[in-house]
Amino acid sequence: MSYTSESVENLVEQLTKLPTIGRKTAQRLAAYILKMSRVDVVQIADALVAVKDKVTFCTICSNVTDHDPCRICSSPKRDHSIVCVVEETSDVVALERTNEFRGVYHVLGGAISPLDGIGPEDLRIRELIERIANGDPVAAPNDDNGSHAASANGTTVAEPHSSDAQIKEIILAMNPNVEGDTTSYYISQLVKPFGVRVTRIARGLPIGGDLEYADEATLSRALEDRLVVDTDA
Amino acid sequence: MIIEEISVKSFRSHADTTVRFSDKVNAVCGPNGAGKTNLLEAIHYLCLTKSFLTSSDTYALRQGDPYFEVRGTINMSTRSSADVRIAYVPGEGKSAFVNGAPLEKLSEIVGRFPIVVLAPDDHALTSGGPEERRRWIDNILSQAHPLYLADLLTYRRALKQRNAILRRMRGQGTPGTRVLDSWTDKIVEIGSRIATRRAHFMDDFAPFLDRAYGTIEAVAERPHIQYQTFAPPDKRLDLGGVTEAFRERLERTSAREREQGRTLVGPHRDELVFRLDDMEVRRYASQGQHRTFAVALKVGQYFYMTDVNDEPPVFLLDDVLDNLDPSRRQAILSLLLSDKIGQSIITASDERLFDSVVDFSSHHHSLVPVHRAAPAELAE
Ligand SMILES: [Zn+2]
Repeated sequence: MSYTSESVENLVEQLTKLPTIGRKTAQRLAAYILKMSRVDVVQIADALVAVKDKVTFCTICSNVTDHDPCRICSSPKRDHSIVCVVEETSDVVALERTNEFRGVYHVLGGAISPLDGIGPEDLRIRELIERIANGDPVAAPNDDNGSHAASANGTTVAEPHSSDAQIKEIILAMNPNVEGDTTSYYISQLVKPFGVRVTRIARGLPIGGDLEYADEATLSRALEDRLVVDTDA
Repeated sequence: MIIEEISVKSFRSHADTTVRFSDKVNAVCGPNGAGKTNLLEAIHYLCLTKSFLTSSDTYALRQGDPYFEVRGTINMSTRSSADVRIAYVPGEGKSAFVNGAPLEKLSEIVGRFPIVVLAPDDHALTSGGPEERRRWIDNILSQAHPLYLADLLTYRRALKQRNAILRRMRGQGTPGTRVLDSWTDKIVEIGSRIATRRAHFMDDFAPFLDRAYGTIEAVAERPHIQYQTFAPPDKRLDLGGVTEAFRERLERTSAREREQGRTLVGPHRDELVFRLDDMEVRRYASQGQHRTFAVALKVGQYFYMTDVNDEPPVFLLDDVLDNLDPSRRQAILSLLLSDKIGQSIITASDERLFDSVVDFSSHHHSLVPVHRAAPAELAE
């Protein structure tokens, strides 16, 4: 389909640059945008530009943030000895939604994929190793960045025992595909000499789902990751 | 499993065609170019989400139409019934629905609706390159063991990734061997599982092949398949041994694979050697023996899959009867009429091939005429 308006055609063209948006969907979105009020459209446009202008990356965990270090890295309430390694910022959002994880993060920015020209040097793997070697900057008592922790609710830096500075556990939370697996393996090999505990999140069945509807690959991985049931209760 | 009905829209020569099938022998007859084979191809899409004729979905789309759709009603021997739908939109890809629910991955459908295809191209199985035989074994194992397909897809992806590194390393000396090691670990893990599964299959399949061959040809010669992989024969059946052998072979070829920029060892290089007694079929068999062997592989596949899945597949025979001599044709038709085979759907240019063998007045059998002029007016 071609439009009589060049602006609409251009909008469709621009929208198809986004992932999962095909030409058809772009046309549908463009038609909708045409009907929206100017105020709403400006809000969307401003939001798009603002993420490029205002958002920076946390120098500790590489998560997106408006202030460096990010809210999580500067929080004294978090356990800075446990670092959860994820591929993307959106994974942090997903894990944070659980409200369960009290450690901190490290965002790699993707997974190793030679086909896409992504090697370890294109990911923030070196930064992760440095973090493990040097300890977490916020919790480290002699680190300048420590002052950031004393913000918000007035509490000062995390408890001062020195072990807090040291990273004790790395949780690998990569996507459950071959690139994620391989990146996990690669990192675990690098981390080995530091004697840090390395764990990987379990892969398995969705809660609330029926066993009979799970696909075979998921079921088999769930079997692989099975746990011992404590019978001494 | 019984395919009760299929509908195809904008598929090859079919604008909109619906066909009903009987539960035993179905003869799809009509002149060449009327779209008989395309009905089998549509069933192949329905059950395995792809064609057996082409690797590109665009070829299956009727010229000038925006998308194609194949829909079928399938009854299982467990008395459950499924409405399956596959749709393809150029640029957007394929999607599959079972009873109205979309499937997250197309591969989820593979194995649920088992089919076996016997087609003229099967001559390549015995006379073509090793990739033809790997495709055959992958087809069986993917349908019989869903985990095999998951492993196969992962292996292919990991192999591509590993080859991409090897290509780059060829250009720039040896940076990042640690990355290569990570991918090596992955292909060893998955590839060893694939090879072990294939080796086990060879043992399991032997009696089924024997039975199939004897059904078609009354001779004393015995069919045999030898599986050639990276592991020496004595280590084959044990996953630990296979894994160790894979690693060892990779280490030994590491210099050569860096030179050539690709992975030279693994199940992607496996070969199956077909033999009749001690004679290698590919090199020394007669035309007739080639044909019988290929038919026996597919009939054996049917027997094996029935046994493993506890569900008789649907047998699709594309233009095979025309090319067989009368005695083999008679043997195949008797087999299809026997209780060893469930539903079969057979294309043929001449319905007289079934004369005095298949009684189409029985409700178990159907004669489905396909006309060149108006494929939309297919018989109910
Ligand atoms: Zn941070």
